[in-house]
Amino acid sequence: MPEAEAIRLAQQGDAAAFERLYRLHNRRVYSLCLRMVGNTAEAEDLTQEAFLQLFRKIATFRGESAFSTWLHRLAVNVVLMKLRKKSGNESSLEELTEPDEDSGGPRRDFGGPDLRLSGSIDRVNLQRAVEQLPPGYKSVFVLHDVQGYEHNEIAEIMACSIGNSKSQLHKARMRLRELLHEALRAQAREDRKAASAETGGKD
Amino acid sequence: MATITCREFLNYLEPWMEGERPPDAQAHVRTCLHCSGVIKDLEMIQSEARSWSAAERDAPERVWTSLRAQLEREGLIRETIPASEGRAHGVTKDAALRAGWFAGLFPRLPRPVLAGAYLAALVAVAFALSGPVNKRVNEARWLKGTQISTSPLSAQLNFAEQDSNSYVSRSNPVVAASLHQNLAIVDNYIALCEKSVTEEPQNEVARDYLYEAYQQKADLLTQMTERGENVQ
Repeated sequence: MPEAEAIRLAQQGDAAAFERLYRLHNRRVYSLCLRMVGNTAEAEDLTQEAFLQLFRKIATFRGESAFSTWLHRLAVNVVLMKLRKKSGNESSLEELTEPDEDSGGPRRDFGGPDLRLSGSIDRVNLQRAVEQLPPGYKSVFVLHDVQGYEHNEIAEIMACSIGNSKSQLHKARMRLRELLHEALRAQAREDRKAASAETGGKD
Repeated sequence: MATITCREFLNYLEPWMEGERPPDAQAHVRTCLHCSGVIKDLEMIQSEARSWSAAERDAPERVWTSLRAQLEREGLIRETIPASEGRAHGVTKDAALRAGWFAGLFPRLPRPVLAGAYLAALVAVAFALSGPVNKRVNEARWLKGTQISTSPLSAQLNFAEQDSNSYVSRSNPVVAASLHQNLAIVDNYIALCEKSVTEEPQNEVARDYLYEAYQQKADLLTQMTERGENVQ
């Protein structure tokens, strides 16, 4: 069943059409949720919530944007709402980035030790760093660098400008680099401590 | 050509990563180890993130089962498609009801389905007792439990796999081959996750991935037993 036909039938409440739409899109929505919250149980709940909202509103879909964009916008909003509730405030999307950076342009702590990340990035430590990003950065990073959306699509999904999407992505990557460097330094400290303990503190 | 400073290059970095390479920025990057290192770091982050999309997978079947139940409760869906057409789409009401872990708990379902669902539930409960759900309050127990609890689970999954193999061998050879191929992928994934957890038993993300890998295998074995049972 083609997507357009499934949408038309789902608007009439057809069960098979609902399932078809779910099967077509659940992978991307679930992956988005999983990367955003880093927890499978929450990602499952959020996926269900996003599709539930989609199916409740599907009668209002008029095709002004691509169906997948519409669905992703719903999913991103569901996740951001959840993250806002978790952090205990009702801030806007803009405030979900780091305010000092937004007002002051790019961070100026460009220097610092010349550690290289070469060989030290893997799925686990990058995921850990992504989890520490502010939700706004995280959304743009996951949509662009993980899921491969273009800035114009992200602008539509996130209801922001293309320039904003580019800027958020750049800040997200720079913040990730800092977080990965911090983790690298912490690991180096641990290694030194362990080595020192092994030699009985003779060094 | 007038060269720029590192601080000035900072303003070029965002467009640089979008593919804009003005000559003065290029000249700076050629001679500055620090800035070229920053670019390499950002490219590595980008490249690692891109590789994640290859690991994307469907949400567990229980999400659809639960979603469908909610849609029915809210009266948002109705069954209108004739059975023959439904089969053509690969979707029947019965199939929808039987899909997922919890479908197996209904007593009207046959033994293989129950076995699969039981297995999936066992994995979930075992991990819930020793794993991610209460790991924060019971870290020491988890660290010990990871080593203890995964071996019997792994053994039970292997035992169930043998059982499922006997059912799936009765189904269409193409379907059977596809299921076996998926099983091999999941097994490789489990091996990788087990290795990560063994190397870093305190790593929460690695444990989550292992938990998920076991769930995937249980889901797949459930499907295999269902497929085999359907052709009996």
